[in-house]
Amino acid sequence: MRALPLILAAGLALLALAPLAAPYLQFVLTVAVAKGFAALGVALLLRAGLISLGHAMFFAVGAYAAAFLAQAVGINDFLLLLPFAVAVSALAGLLVGAFLVRYRAIFFAMLNLAVSMVAYALASKLYSITGGTDGLRIDVPTLMGMSLEKAQFDQALYYISLVLLAVVGWLVHRYLKSPLGQALAAVHTNEVRLEYLGVSAWSTLLAAYTISAALAGIGGAIAAVAIGHVLPEYAFWTESGHLVLTAVLGGIAGIAGPFVGSIFLELIHTVAVGYAAEAWNLIVGVALLAVIFFLPRGLFGLIESAAGVKDHRGETEL
Amino acid sequence: MRKTSFMRPIAAAAALLAAGAAAAEDKPESLNLGVFTFMSGGPAAYGMPGRQGAEVMIDMINAEGGVAGVPVSATYVDEAQGAEGVISEYRRLSEDPAYGFMIAALSSGNCLALAPIADQLNMPTIGWNCDTHQLYLGNDYQFFYRPNGNTIAEFMAYALYFLDKNPDVSRVAIINPDYSFGHDAAEIVKATLKAVKPEVEIVAELFPKLGSSTFQTEISRLSAARPDVIFSNMWGGDLENFIRQAAPRGLFRTSVGVFALGESALQSVDVPEGSIVGVLGDGYWMSPDAQEIGLAAPFAEAYRAKFDADPVFPSVKMANAFLVMKAAYEKAIADNNVEWPSKEQLAAAMEGMSTTTMTGEMTFREDNDGVVDQLVGTVAKVDGKLVMTDMARYDGETMLPPLGEDPIAWIGSLTPEFLAAMPKPGSYE
Amino acid sequence: MLQTLIPLFVDALANAALIFFVAVGLTLVFSVLRILNVAHGSLYSIGAYVAASVGLWIVAAGLPAWLTFPALVLSAAFTALLFGPVIERTLIRWTYGKSEAVQVLVTFGLFLILEDLQRMVFGVQSIYADTPMALLGISEIGGIVYLNYQLALIGLAVAVLIGLRLFIRRSRTGKLLAAVVADREVSQAMGIDTNKMFMIAFTLGVLLAALGGAMATPTTGVAPGLGADTMVLAFAVAAIGGLGQVEGAAVASVIVAVAKVLAIYYAPALDAVAPYLVMLAVLLVRPYGLFGAGATRRI
Repeated sequence: MRALPLILAAGLALLALAPLAAPYLQFVLTVAVAKGFAALGVALLLRAGLISLGHAMFFAVGAYAAAFLAQAVGINDFLLLLPFAVAVSALAGLLVGAFLVRYRAIFFAMLNLAVSMVAYALASKLYSITGGTDGLRIDVPTLMGMSLEKAQFDQALYYISLVLLAVVGWLVHRYLKSPLGQALAAVHTNEVRLEYLGVSAWSTLLAAYTISAALAGIGGAIAAVAIGHVLPEYAFWTESGHLVLTAVLGGIAGIAGPFVGSIFLELIHTVAVGYAAEAWNLIVGVALLAVIFFLPRGLFGLIESAAGVKDHRGETEL
Repeated sequence: MRKTSFMRPIAAAAALLAAGAAAAEDKPESLNLGVFTFMSGGPAAYGMPGRQGAEVMIDMINAEGGVAGVPVSATYVDEAQGAEGVISEYRRLSEDPAYGFMIAALSSGNCLALAPIADQLNMPTIGWNCDTHQLYLGNDYQFFYRPNGNTIAEFMAYALYFLDKNPDVSRVAIINPDYSFGHDAAEIVKATLKAVKPEVEIVAELFPKLGSSTFQTEISRLSAARPDVIFSNMWGGDLENFIRQAAPRGLFRTSVGVFALGESALQSVDVPEGSIVGVLGDGYWMSPDAQEIGLAAPFAEAYRAKFDADPVFPSVKMANAFLVMKAAYEKAIADNNVEWPSKEQLAAAMEGMSTTTMTGEMTFREDNDGVVDQLVGTVAKVDGKLVMTDMARYDGETMLPPLGEDPIAWIGSLTPEFLAAMPKPGSYE
Repeated sequence: MLQTLIPLFVDALANAALIFFVAVGLTLVFSVLRILNVAHGSLYSIGAYVAASVGLWIVAAGLPAWLTFPALVLSAAFTALLFGPVIERTLIRWTYGKSEAVQVLVTFGLFLILEDLQRMVFGVQSIYADTPMALLGISEIGGIVYLNYQLALIGLAVAVLIGLRLFIRRSRTGKLLAAVVADREVSQAMGIDTNKMFMIAFTLGVLLAALGGAMATPTTGVAPGLGADTMVLAFAVAAIGGLGQVEGAAVASVIVAVAKVLAIYYAPALDAVAPYLVMLAVLLVRPYGLFGAGATRRI
């Protein structure tokens, strides 16, 4: 058991050092970490047995919120953009969740997809507000009032993202260990028993849904400033599918899984663009099926086995 | 004052970096370009001729020894993957020191997204096809140049041409793709009509999604509106699908079609004779100017040999973008008296540059927008082939608002006399 | 007034017919297998590609043009037989009894694979095969010219709806399917070969998707991305009608089509949003769709 924290710390250190060895990886990894946050949000819900086919919507809400604050309002400091984006997506999660967490199984997946398609369609048609399919641009934000060159900002953004990854990852870990988080898995295994114990499944799930939306919002804000442009495609249903895929590929049992999945996918993508661009979806699809069939605990399960973790009691599965 | 103490080392480092980058460079073994265009989906019908134009141009430049003795090679990026992927690819190529110049992009949406990034990454870039006038409105880019003019000149030219051609037009319908290019064009056409022929009524205004596969309901809606003229700046597969779907339903028996990007579809679909089409600029390889300059004929011949088709205007636009890039390298080398220019020297060399392209003269204005003439004509069958006839060539300069002026307000200030002073259809043969 | 309403009505029905085929296939598969097939849209676009390629080949080979009509139906049948049994036997069968998350993911993986396979087989350029449309000519209704092909499709959609109804109510296989829908375990206990029923239902679903794609080709272009766009529209229709409800899909197709046509006529800025706004409005009031019933909670 001791080995696992060490491996996680080593992984984080490796991420921190990667841009020094290969500078072009910095951008790829920033986007990977951003999507990892959203995938972590999806993974939270998967623990409760709920599959959301619309979570990219909250990623997009975070990104658009950051773009609005920066371009329309004119407040363009990353340390303000991030909390604003997270607050807006958490609020959106709370509102949408209050309606959706009553439903289970395929209806939950479907209703999420439905709401996200409305968001996607509105973002692409409200030309005068959202820029329509052109999207909105975000200029390089300042950082605590300091204006930086793009290259310096990108570097700062990357390391801020890594710090966030560690801090938020730890917070989510604490949440999952708390009664509120434990109840989440109980919704999956036996919801009625949970309610007989006096715990409301609705509020348990609403809390999880709001947190998962906020996580997606963090990702959206980071991606928005890293890419410098937000677009309706962020909310398209295939993006939501990719988030679920990322979470499952990495493994939903631990915090690190979704990030492992996301980084793995982005790195493979970078390689594939040069050699097998036409077959990228094919590769990902086959990888997804292989993981579901042969590695139900995801890539992170492999790392855990290597670290000697054998005790999987009380762990959630798909 | 903590801010300054923190900023000083950063500023010093940035200055050092800039100084290092501004120095001349050794000649590379090859000049690698990123070329962005649509290569899949409906828009590829317009984007692929662009790519093919690039291939022919690279062959021709390399056959003559390359750019200042350096052979050219290109990596093609598909814009159909969406702006997020396009931006990521642009960044990936730009951050790779092997790449020296970008020719990007086809879509106005992508140019709007890439221009600020070009400046952030100090990457000299030519927008080879995009034309939204919003690109340089209130933005002062250093590295992003666009040699093919903007929507203001282009769509004013169409509005003027069809008013001259159909003086009693009273009902106009618009169907444009749903992004900046489509919305801009609609604004400009409406503003021009309002200024020079205010009694014209806009009877329908539709913006279907770019890449829609069917327009049947839109066609019903247009038929119901009974317009005299249907204006559209759809392109690629959209334009071909629209004409294929609308023609059997008799839409063009009652209304004249104005297809701003129609010349690119003349070889692939039966554009109704009498439709008004053009090339968004002067890039018509058979125009009198092109014949006089003499570069277009060998290009067309090489193109035909390689792809078994005549070049269409996206191919010519791409070829012209290559000529502008080549001129920029030559000018930067001469200006700085160096073996090979740095990216900053290249960007500086393009400032205010004038050059002769395959089809006419191109001059960069102060805002980096290119001034080119506008060519509009009418479709007719000559020797079994659909071609542009009855052409008018509008002077690029007179069709653009003065720098710094709001373009739509400027159009609003025009009068019917402006129309009267314009060259007439058929004046350019 | 009537003069303007008639074209609206015709356009709505023509749109509804096109959506109906693919939506009813999705809903039929769900009703029997209890699986939301995310790759359903890809099977629609494969049907479209096969039909368009065959149609272009018939014209290029100089065969009689009327052959393009049977070619549309045969292309759909070919696609269904090629993909239906194989996919059900391998991927889908493996997910029976697994959680919804696994089922959705497996079909999403299939969607990704099929999207790229299409690009590899059919290329990435847009194709157009409109011979059947040109053969049938035009009619004028309410002052607007329509293609007879569009009108024929409305008839075909109604025929398919009635045919499905008769198949489920009257034929032996249909009755067995209905039994499996009503109670899977009891039907199995009574000796119904549920595995066979699943395969039949899935293949029928693929057939309907591919038929939708094939029938659309004479009036639409076929290009990459068609599958992903069609999927969400089919899904919206199925959700409005109630997942698993055949008649619901028919009614919902008309509702979605009316919303879309009204938007194009009177509020063009909302054309792409209208179907989804309708869906949201319906689901807010009836989360299980107009004709659907909620599943009982699992203990």
